[in-house]
Order: sequence, then structure tokens, then C-alpha cells
Amino acid sequence: MPSLLEFQSAMRAELLDDSNPAITATLTAALTPVDRVSIYRNTSRIALTNALRLNYPAVQRLVGEDFFAAAADMFIAKEPPRTAWLDAYGIGFPEFLEGFSPAASLRYLPDVARLERAVSRALHAVDSKTVTPAELARIPQSSAGSICFTPHPSVSLIASDYPVDAIWRAVLAGDDAAIAAIDLGTGPISLLIERQAGSIEVTRIVEQRRRFAEALFAGRPLAAALELAGNPQAPAWLAAHLAAGHFISFAMTEAPRAPSSVVEHRQ
Amino acid sequence: MVPAAMRGDDPIPAKAGIGLRFQHHQAVLECPPDIAFMEVHTENYMGGGAAIRCLEAVRHNYPVSLHGVGLSLGSAEGLDPVHLQRIKQVAERIEPALMSEHIAWSVSGGTYLADLLPLPMTEEALDIVCRHVDQMQNTLRRIILVENPSTYMQFRHSTIPEWEFMAAVAARTGCGILCDINNIFVSANNHGWDASTYVAALPIEAIGEIHLAGHSVCQLADGGNLRIDDHGSCVADDVWSLYADALRRFGPIPTLIEWDNNIPPLEVLLAQACHADTLIGRENELRHAVAA
Repeated sequence: MPSLLEFQSAMRAELLDDSNPAITATLTAALTPVDRVSIYRNTSRIALTNALRLNYPAVQRLVGEDFFAAAADMFIAKEPPRTAWLDAYGIGFPEFLEGFSPAASLRYLPDVARLERAVSRALHAVDSKTVTPAELARIPQSSAGSICFTPHPSVSLIASDYPVDAIWRAVLAGDDAAIAAIDLGTGPISLLIERQAGSIEVTRIVEQRRRFAEALFAGRPLAAALELAGNPQAPAWLAAHLAAGHFISFAMTEAPRAPSSVVEHRQ
Repeated sequence: MVPAAMRGDDPIPAKAGIGLRFQHHQAVLECPPDIAFMEVHTENYMGGGAAIRCLEAVRHNYPVSLHGVGLSLGSAEGLDPVHLQRIKQVAERIEPALMSEHIAWSVSGGTYLADLLPLPMTEEALDIVCRHVDQMQNTLRRIILVENPSTYMQFRHSTIPEWEFMAAVAARTGCGILCDINNIFVSANNHGWDASTYVAALPIEAIGEIHLAGHSVCQLADGGNLRIDDHGSCVADDVWSLYADALRRFGPIPTLIEWDNNIPPLEVLLAQACHADTLIGRENELRHAVAA
């Protein structure tokens, strides 16, 4: 008689992989044991494919239902979920698609998936109190440069060589004319993805602003982020981040570091 | 009867409720239907944003039952403490009247298998489930209900009838039982059990809620059939009959209509709930007649 731990490992293997005789041998045989296990395997596979579909709806429309199901099958076998919170499932799907040769002709597909991952994150991230401009105003001007922020978990940034925001909007709207009008050669874009009052906003920003925000979201000191931005508008961008509630906390670095050394230590 | 503490400050009356799914969020907020309570899958409201905010708005109008599908009480490797904390966070925001989970497992080797998988009915599994029910109740600081499963397989090394397993979990942990009548009907059909024997073996005082749902029938080559608990249709007539028998034994109990696939218009769910209310009303009349 198998222990419960052994039994569950065997059944997991059978559900994720193919036939595993260890588990079917423990079943009573009124109906084919393999058939019985396959009921559970099908339910599991459908639930996980649906979870991916909900998180990557534009990818699914771009590749079609059957292609998506086949890709999902391979992805599920490779990266099954680690938790029952399926809203967060499929974090590695964009990178999987990047290496998925049948989709190689759709060069923009992994970046559309990255955008959808960011949208899903914005939709489901935990709620949190945000830093207000009034809290920041208490910091003396002389030490403002050493402020380091922690970003709100719902906000993120994306850089792409393709107009993935336009593709994403047109595909989800089912707007064939808009899809046909998309020019893949319009050059790199930067996107800010955020949750505002419960709805998701995807905004194009200039590259310098993205670099500034990336530095802030990575917890780099404000002085270093300003240096990196190299743009007189950066203080206004910071004000916009604060107004939008993009930070949940801040701390002061021990001593302001020279911007050049911070750049070298960039992750 | 079920201890008052189990039902929180805003107890669910012995009437019918419906399982709330995303398709009906807007409808129940714009025009709140006359229904005793709403139940949701806890896992669909983890994290922040619009979903949980919507549930908070629903909670403003109705008692809410949080029905978990992913904690995996039957996992030999132990509960995922992070997932248990997520459940607790949803409970803190929603202040549910009831909380429940399943006699099943879905996590092995740290992988979530996305289905309620069957447990061998052994002393070892009973010990593990009871330990995890204790852990869940201690973490949430409340009594939970555990639901009997629908299953498609039995194991040679099972030694405890499922109904005795359910009763033992309730007796050893003090938890209540969420008696899923459709699951009893489906499993009894699939394994050749007697559904009435199952219902008769459950401890009356532990029953805190009843579930009703539709199932499908899969014809087999040998002339038999397998019933699949797919929650994709109306409650079957035979299940309504078993439900009426269960009410005779348990008395009026909060009853939920569940529907998860091919989700119909809200009116269809409400009509099913209305029928459950009629049967509960009949049971109330019978009891009053006997008392008088």
C-alpha cells in the first residue's frame, strides 16, 4: 500500500505526463483505470488552459484557439502552477513563446504577451496604501536625492521594438481595419501599465521617461534616477508618479552615492 | 444545530443562495435579486483591484460564503502557508458568513494540479486531513465546513467508507459539513453506493450548508454510465428528490445552487434557487405540522 505522499507523487506524474502504471494499478477496475485518470487529467488541463487564456487573451486571438491550446499544453507541462491563485499563473509564458519555434514568424508575439502579463499584474496586484506628495514634502530638500521608492505592485514598464499597444487594443477590440493599418516598422516604444480606479491604463511614454521610471521602480536613489533621465521634465514625471500612487513606501539611502557608481551597479 | 460562531455576525438563513460568477457581477449590483446569500470561489478574489472591490459591494447587500477550491486539505506534504494567508486576507476584507473547503487534494510536489483530486479513504489520509482542518480553523480563527467530493475512481487500499470519513473529520476537528447532494448522487452512481445510506450516515448537527448542481451522464460501452460533476446544467430530478430526503433528515439548511460551466442567465440560477426555497418551505411546514 503506497503512503499518501507516494500516491500523490504518482498521480501528479500521471496528470502532468503520460501513463504511469503505478497509479492505475491501485484503482478498482470497474471502468478502465486509464479512462478514469484521464477524466481528472482533462479537467486539470482545461482549467489551466483557461487560466492562460484569461491572462493572455490577445495572444490567443493572434494565434487562434487550436494553436494557443497546443502552446498552452507544452507550457503547462514545462511550468505547471505553483499555487492555486491562477490569476497569477503563466508568468513565464512570454519567455516560453519567445523560444516557441512554431510562433517565430510572429516576431511581436512575445512582447504582446509581456504587455498582457503587465496588464494581468495591474488587474490582480494586491491593494496598498500609496506615498502622498505631503509625506515627501517633509523630507529636507538637501537629502531628497537619497530617497529610494518601493513601487506599487500593480505598476510596470515595457519597452518593445513593435507597436504592441496598438496590436493589443486592435486585437481585443476585434477591429480588423485597425489591425490591417498597423505598421510594424514604426520604431521602438515605451509603455507604462497601471491600475487607476480599478481600470487598467496602458500609456505610451518617451524613452527617457521610461528609463527614469525604471530606475525609481528598481529602488535606485532619486538623484541617480534624475541623472539617468537627463531631462528637465524629470521632476514633473516624479510628481505624476506620486499623483498616480505609483509608490507604496520610501526610505533614505545611508549616504547619497555618486550617480556614476550607481549606474555601474545597475542590475 | 450549527454553532452560531460558524456563521459569523451576519448568519445565513436556512434558505437558498446562488454561486456568484463574474458574468453576473454587474447584474447583481445593478439590480440586487431577492436571494438569501451569495457564494464565491475564494481563489477568484485574491489580490486587489476591481474583483474584490466588486465582492465588497455584493457583501454590502448579502451574506457571503467563501468557498475555497485550492488549499488542498488532503495533501500529504502539508498546506501552503502563503495560500492560507491569502484566504485569510480575503476573509478579513469580506467578513464571510461561511467558509468552506473540500475533502480532496490538488497540490503535490509544490505543483497545483487544478482539480479536486480523490483521496484514498485511509487512516493516514484521515489524520492528514484532520491536521489540516485544524490548521485552517486555527489560522482563520473560525469553524469551517468541509465538502464531500464527487469522484470517478476508488482505491484498493481505501478502508473507510466516504460517509464515515466525512463524519470522522467533523467529529475530530469540530468542523461542519458542506453536504453536496449532487456529489453524493454522482459518486453513489459511479461506485455503486446507496445515496440514502450516505445521507443517513452524516451527523445532523454538523451539516452547515447544502450544495446542489447539475451533472452530465456519460454512456459506457458496457451499458453502464459514468456521471460527471460538471456544474453545467440544471439540477437533475433525482438529485432534487435526494435533496428533499436530506432536508427531512437534516432540517432546513442554507442551500446553494452552483453553476460553473455554460453559465446561464441569472434568471435561470434564481429559478433553481426558488425551487430549493419551495422544498425548504415544505420541510418547514411538515415540521410545524408535526410540532402542532
